[in-house]
Amino acid sequence: MLPQLFQCARRPHRQCIVPRLLRNTHDGATPASSKSSGRTTSFGFQTVPEESKESLVKGVFDNVASKYDVMNDASSFGVHRLWKDTFVSTLKPGRKGPMRCIDVAGGTGDIALRILDHAREEYADRETTVEIVDINAQMLGEGFKRFKKTMYHNTPQVSFHEANAQELPMSLFKDNTYDLYTIAFGIRNCTSIPAVLEEAYRVLKPGATFACLEFSKVNNPLMSRLYDQYSFSVIPLMGTILAGDRESYQYLVESIRKFPSQPEFAQMIKDAGFATGAPHDGGAWTDLWGGIACIHTGVKV
Amino acid sequence: MNSSKLLQLAIPLVKSHGFTREALAQSVLHLPKPHREPLPDLSVTALFGRGDDARRTLVNAWLEDARFRMKEDTSGSTSMRRVLHSRLKLNEPVLAHLPEAFALLSTSSSVLPVDPLPLLKHTALVADQACWIIEPHAQEMSWYTRRASISAMYLAAELHQLTSPNTAESFLDYLLQNSGAAEKAVQEVALFGFYTFKSWKGIAKSSGVL
Repeated sequence: MLPQLFQCARRPHRQCIVPRLLRNTHDGATPASSKSSGRTTSFGFQTVPEESKESLVKGVFDNVASKYDVMNDASSFGVHRLWKDTFVSTLKPGRKGPMRCIDVAGGTGDIALRILDHAREEYADRETTVEIVDINAQMLGEGFKRFKKTMYHNTPQVSFHEANAQELPMSLFKDNTYDLYTIAFGIRNCTSIPAVLEEAYRVLKPGATFACLEFSKVNNPLMSRLYDQYSFSVIPLMGTILAGDRESYQYLVESIRKFPSQPEFAQMIKDAGFATGAPHDGGAWTDLWGGIACIHTGVKV
Repeated sequence: MNSSKLLQLAIPLVKSHGFTREALAQSVLHLPKPHREPLPDLSVTALFGRGDDARRTLVNAWLEDARFRMKEDTSGSTSMRRVLHSRLKLNEPVLAHLPEAFALLSTSSSVLPVDPLPLLKHTALVADQACWIIEPHAQEMSWYTRRASISAMYLAAELHQLTSPNTAESFLDYLLQNSGAAEKAVQEVALFGFYTFKSWKGIAKSSGVL
């Protein structure tokens, strides 16, 4: 499976003419050239050197970018839209004036668009801005294309940046800048979750909120069995049929299982310096659909 | 950092801001390294809950703090009167905000429009703490009935305090003096009821029904 993925990573980029894309590509080490530090991390159920996870994940998302939204709809039967709607409506962007938001790993712009629409429709706010950051240019390209169909294209309300969530360039993403940091279904793909959390802490203003929507552990045993069956049988099959790529969707399903549980991730958020609610459902996190997805929040204090 | 630290900082602000989200937002202005501005509303939601849930969190934190201070102020005391008086005294700085606090607690249920359980739980906890202060190692048969009677007396005194703060102490004294009589009355009714039950059981057995 690994050699096939390396091949995908070396496939040439499609030319993506995206004027606003600011390229601050992190020099991710390729597996062949890096000096291995000996540290390993998980790539789905596999263990790989830490240096190679970034390029492997890049390969996955290069493959899935063009069919990402279709696959999300097919594999979750459209439920991901409800989760994202709940996520954004919980945050209520724009309620107390314009906000400066950063949406990380937000390539295709789902969350950013919802934030801007919510601020506009609920609070008549046209000053809230969202900066979409993603490490993958293909995904950003898809997001840019989507935004072209909306009223936010070519306005200061949205901008696109290619950058690594673990090392946001200080020149572009200064300390204590943002009112809201969101990351939806992206943090599990990062090599070092603590590094992402530290960067989030750095760029947020004191008193600002960190919000993460991610797949999580289902605690109910019966539901967990059904969910496992569905994830490991149906989703990779859908990947084959709809996107012609079983392995990438196999990785996506496996990466969900490797992600820390709700209390563990809440503790990681606290370790990064955030203040969180009490360590139970409804406090530091809110389970959606029994824990299939989960919203974690923290406040920079 | 836990949100509990910010709750501790918000408790002294209840006197001026009431049990409001504003008090929670202002708590960061009293940190060792204070923020320049209060917390935005979104952050208050993230830490303490949506809408009135955040206010209920503050109410419960304040009640817990009051129980703790009651213990601190009267540790070693053997007078139930003194313990309950000290607890009523803690209500005085925030008396104007207490009716709203109790209303918030009573409307916490998603099923019932008015739920008396949180309020009864509050008085039960005060009674339990008071009994523990008087006798930390008590092992008595009347554990629950004693707590139930003190809880009822405290609830009556606190509600009296909301409408007539000046006479609350004397009302509590009156209740405590007569509590002995009330407890005996309840016990005697229970004993009489037991005798009646035994005699009916005996009648049923002798007539062949049982």
